[in-house]
Amino acid sequence: MRMPPFQLHTPTSLDEAISISEELVSENQEFDWVAGGTDLLPNYKWHLNVKPNVISLAKISELTELNETHIGAMVRLHDLVQSSATHPVLAKAADTIASVMVRRSGTVGGNICLDTRCYWFNQTEQWRESIDWCHKCDCGTEADCRVIPNQNTLCVATYQADLAPVLMCLGAVIHLAGSNGIRSMPLSEFFQLDGMTRNVLQPGELVTHLTLPEDVAEWHGDYQKLRQRESWDFPEAGVAAVWKKNGTTKPTELKVATTGLESIPMLHTKEVDSCLNGWSGAESINELAESIRKSVKPVQNTWFSPSYRRKMVKVLTRRACAGLVEGDS
Amino acid sequence: MSKDENEDEMVGYRQQPGKLPFAKPGSGGKDRFSRPTDQEMIPESQGGELAQPWGSHRHDNLVSGQVIGKATALVDGRWKVTGQAQYGDDIRLPGELIGRIIRSPHHYARVLSVDFSKALEVPGVVAIATGADAENKFGVLPVTKDEHAMAVEKVRHVGDLVACVAAEDEATAREAERLIEVEYEILDSIHDMRDGLQDSDLPIHDRGKYHIGEANVQKRVFQEFGDVDGIEENAIASHKENWLFAGVNHAATEPHAVVANWDPAGRLTLYTPQQVPHYVHRALADVLEIPMHQINVHRTFVGGGFGGKSDPFPHEMCSAILARKSGRPVRITFDREEVYWINRGRHPSRIEMNLHADSQGRICGIETDALIDGGGFASFGHVTTYYNGVLHTAPYEIGAFHYTGARVWTNKPASGAMRGHGAVNSRCAVETGLDDLAEKLSVDPIDLRLANLLPPHSATITGFRVTSIGMRECLERVKKESGWDEKFRKMPLGKGIGIGCGFFISGSGLPIHWDPNKFPHATVHLKIDMDGGVTVHTGAAEIGQGSDTVVAQSVAEVLGLPLDLIRIRSKESDTSPVDLGSYSSRVTFMNANAAISAAMQIRDELLDATAEITGAKREKLVIGDRRIFAKNDPAVGVSYLEALHKAQEDRGALVASGAYRTPPMGRTHKGAAAGLAPAYSFSAYVAEVSVDVETGQTKVEKVWAAHDCGKALNPLAVKGQIIGSCHMGMGQVLSEEMKYGRSGHLMNPDLLDYKIPSVHEMPEVVPIIVESNDPEGPFGAKEAGEGPLLPILPAVCNAVYDAVGVRTAELPITPERLLRIIERKCKAEGVDDPIKLPSPRLEYSELQAVLSKRAEEHAKRDLERRLNDNRQPYHNGALFGLDPTTPPDEVDQKWAVNVIPSEEYLSDPRLAGSAWKHTERRHRGDS
Repeated sequence: MRMPPFQLHTPTSLDEAISISEELVSENQEFDWVAGGTDLLPNYKWHLNVKPNVISLAKISELTELNETHIGAMVRLHDLVQSSATHPVLAKAADTIASVMVRRSGTVGGNICLDTRCYWFNQTEQWRESIDWCHKCDCGTEADCRVIPNQNTLCVATYQADLAPVLMCLGAVIHLAGSNGIRSMPLSEFFQLDGMTRNVLQPGELVTHLTLPEDVAEWHGDYQKLRQRESWDFPEAGVAAVWKKNGTTKPTELKVATTGLESIPMLHTKEVDSCLNGWSGAESINELAESIRKSVKPVQNTWFSPSYRRKMVKVLTRRACAGLVEGDS
Repeated sequence: MSKDENEDEMVGYRQQPGKLPFAKPGSGGKDRFSRPTDQEMIPESQGGELAQPWGSHRHDNLVSGQVIGKATALVDGRWKVTGQAQYGDDIRLPGELIGRIIRSPHHYARVLSVDFSKALEVPGVVAIATGADAENKFGVLPVTKDEHAMAVEKVRHVGDLVACVAAEDEATAREAERLIEVEYEILDSIHDMRDGLQDSDLPIHDRGKYHIGEANVQKRVFQEFGDVDGIEENAIASHKENWLFAGVNHAATEPHAVVANWDPAGRLTLYTPQQVPHYVHRALADVLEIPMHQINVHRTFVGGGFGGKSDPFPHEMCSAILARKSGRPVRITFDREEVYWINRGRHPSRIEMNLHADSQGRICGIETDALIDGGGFASFGHVTTYYNGVLHTAPYEIGAFHYTGARVWTNKPASGAMRGHGAVNSRCAVETGLDDLAEKLSVDPIDLRLANLLPPHSATITGFRVTSIGMRECLERVKKESGWDEKFRKMPLGKGIGIGCGFFISGSGLPIHWDPNKFPHATVHLKIDMDGGVTVHTGAAEIGQGSDTVVAQSVAEVLGLPLDLIRIRSKESDTSPVDLGSYSSRVTFMNANAAISAAMQIRDELLDATAEITGAKREKLVIGDRRIFAKNDPAVGVSYLEALHKAQEDRGALVASGAYRTPPMGRTHKGAAAGLAPAYSFSAYVAEVSVDVETGQTKVEKVWAAHDCGKALNPLAVKGQIIGSCHMGMGQVLSEEMKYGRSGHLMNPDLLDYKIPSVHEMPEVVPIIVESNDPEGPFGAKEAGEGPLLPILPAVCNAVYDAVGVRTAELPITPERLLRIIERKCKAEGVDDPIKLPSPRLEYSELQAVLSKRAEEHAKRDLERRLNDNRQPYHNGALFGLDPTTPPDEVDQKWAVNVIPSEEYLSDPRLAGSAWKHTERRHRGDS
């Protein structure tokens, strides 16, 4: 199994990277960014949406800064787990990603921008030929979606990365850079509901870093993940919950986000708000869990069935929020 | 120059004998001095200190205390750990081409045309072959040769081979692949094995006059033994369950790879990681239409087989065909999904298992109906169909056995032989059924088993000759070490413990290829020249299980040599005698027996020579570490090399050939040979699990695994097999599954989505070796490669029941499936939250005392039978009042074997049994 040939560009600074990308864009040449390569290269080996140019960010040291409120896009997941500056819930989520070997190579930016996954897409060329391709990688055939046929508009491939829900809950702001300058936005606004578009990144634009609010250390919480095995597997569902308590039994603030269920991770503001009104401890958590279960719509394209994943969202939400009622009686 | 060397200065080649500066015949080996014999390794029967609670053995006098029974690192281990072992894809020959295979994108289609003219024009493409290049059929079983190198008329599953291309590099081969145009006529495919039982417009294969109706039934079996009609009347408790087992794949670390090369003399060498090189050898000769002696099959290091490398494969034919066409070596290496497309994994199965117990707590009947999904080709399926039945007629004494089995073709990759061949699924159904029966009878499931075991040296209901049985010891050991009595039905919700047993063949009594009729099953050649090293030629395929090591150990033990004096040559068919291969757990039993028999001949010659040199009486001589001496006066003796050189006078190198063939065994009914083995292994596991009742996730916490391997020739390897088997079986029971999507496609042909348990899922395994000292096994040994896999599946299933009170009848028990059953249970119990489910508890009935008493009596009976050589025959049926010394069907006509279903049965057959509704074409009279 070989990757198709591509031209590898290895800029040593952000400016150089952007100018290379600018040039490629102006020449109408397609390219991909590569960070740790643990997502992109396996996909390349399967000949999935291969580009003739790849720009590596590995040598850009300015993207590796890591402290309590700043996480560079090129920070390795393993370093994120190990660092004492990392918020404990974020460290926990990062520690569940894939395996040690993947975490040593994979990066924060790569995890945020992880390609969406689908049983009908993440397959070899010969396999995909046998189903007449699918529209996420149609090889010029204008093939339909294989999960939900006859709806050739939206790709329902699943976003299966662990960091985003935690970062969204913690109020992370994502910072992008490109030839048109820099811009930033709350992470929850970064994603776009389509398995192919995935996010707001424009051609030639890349993620430089994330920032967390100054009060990040005051938030407590948990991350719960559903998967068949305790290693390697992508999340079939993931729930992050963080809160501030201020000494009372009722949380003053609560945020819950999910991943692994749809094409983008989701911050469940509406469901949380309605449960915070009239908070009654474990019962409210149960109601919250149920309303989140109702709000997610997974499809049949990963290991577990959609109905099981929805059921588990409820259990995971309860478990992620368990710390909220600990000590209550 | 040192003083010593000066003294021995060589002044010319024509020296007086003994004056040459050769080392004096020392002890041989690295160490100059012989070590004293380790009396702890010498059996009591030979005056040593090794306790023999199971009596003496015919090989006792061959024990020199060297290596047998000692934890021994595998002799080829250093090649592997230093990265110097050459596996299939490591073979690099000068001028090699890379081969790629063009595969069917359709489930079932007629190949109308293959146009490769454009592909041939691509620079770097050297040869292209299609089905037309090799039209002869092959297959691992001579009775079911149904494969072609590439599609001749039809493709039978997605991934079936259509054509192949050889090019200068992989990229070019891939480009050519895209340019080959194949025109198909798509046919109606079948995916559900139940559909295979029906008549079809175009069956996947055509067996001519032997075809069963117009259906896709490849093989069907009907067997009735014992008092089948009496089951209903006798039973006071019955267990009935319909199982669905998903197909699983061996998922060996190394994907299949092959290199073919034609040398200037016109001979073909095929480098391939094969478990069964001899059958590839035969198939190549058939397909390429060249005589066998023109082919050298070179088995490379094998990166895991487990049955997945035991068929002759079409890609092996392809590489040879491409090499012949191009005149250059051709290498083909599979991607992982190609491994799944060639498959030969465990059959997806639907098994109906009914067990019945009578008022005495005896198993008065087992009724099994097994429909197995063979996929597109026969492979080993003929045998698998039998094994799903006959391999669960022991270790228990049973009153009746009714089996209907059928294997059907479907448009999926072919199923075949996989570790525990044909026995695993039905064994899981039997053992969980026994657990349920125990529950229904309100008795302890271990005691139920202990009170129903066949004694040593007995015959099963199907007529298998069972010799050594360590089943009782296995059960007793795991019961004690797991703390069973304190835990069983006593733990809180979500914590459980369960028992499962296993029974497996140690080599098949009738090999697949048995012509000429009296050919031995295994042959070993030895050659010893003056350097003292022993070259062992054997065809047994080392696939990581340690077959080279066990042969080396056997020879070393008999000749009293350290292992470094033994060198194994087992790779090439040119130099090794024919061996039937590494399947059906035959290698240790058969090949070590052959090695011992060859070594005994050398041993005789060494003893003769020693007697001549020393004048001591030959029968008083014994062999120790590189020294042969008088038993009563160890000072009288010579070193190994002295004896060897004496024996070599006037003739040079000593050579010997030893062989092993099983004794005649078994009955004569149709199918009687399936499941016959010269010995059988037994095992009992206890698994402890935690179940998360809210998610359905099961974690195996600890396993106590007792396996009776007769004698652990290499305890390290046996433990490795036990632990490895636990891992593999745990995969099948909890997470591994070949998942077919709604369109019939295999959805997870990769190691990310095919869920092999990771190190996190692996529990602590406590391997417990039981040594029942098999009379026919080499030094008492039986198999340990496949049997240890069987018990882990039911042990986990039963532990899950103990934890949450639900039984599953579908494997793997993914969290999703288990949760569904838990939810059903909640509904039935009127519980709104699974955490509130009651934990199963058990109050013993009066039967418990009956069973305990019988188990005690049987323990005495068994001890007597294993130590007394003048024992009476014992046939299954004695527990039910028949005369144990006479085969049951001679005692009572109603116990007669029946292999043809009656009209009455056919009026209402079970699922697989309905295969018998069809009439074979030759018996139809309409064609």
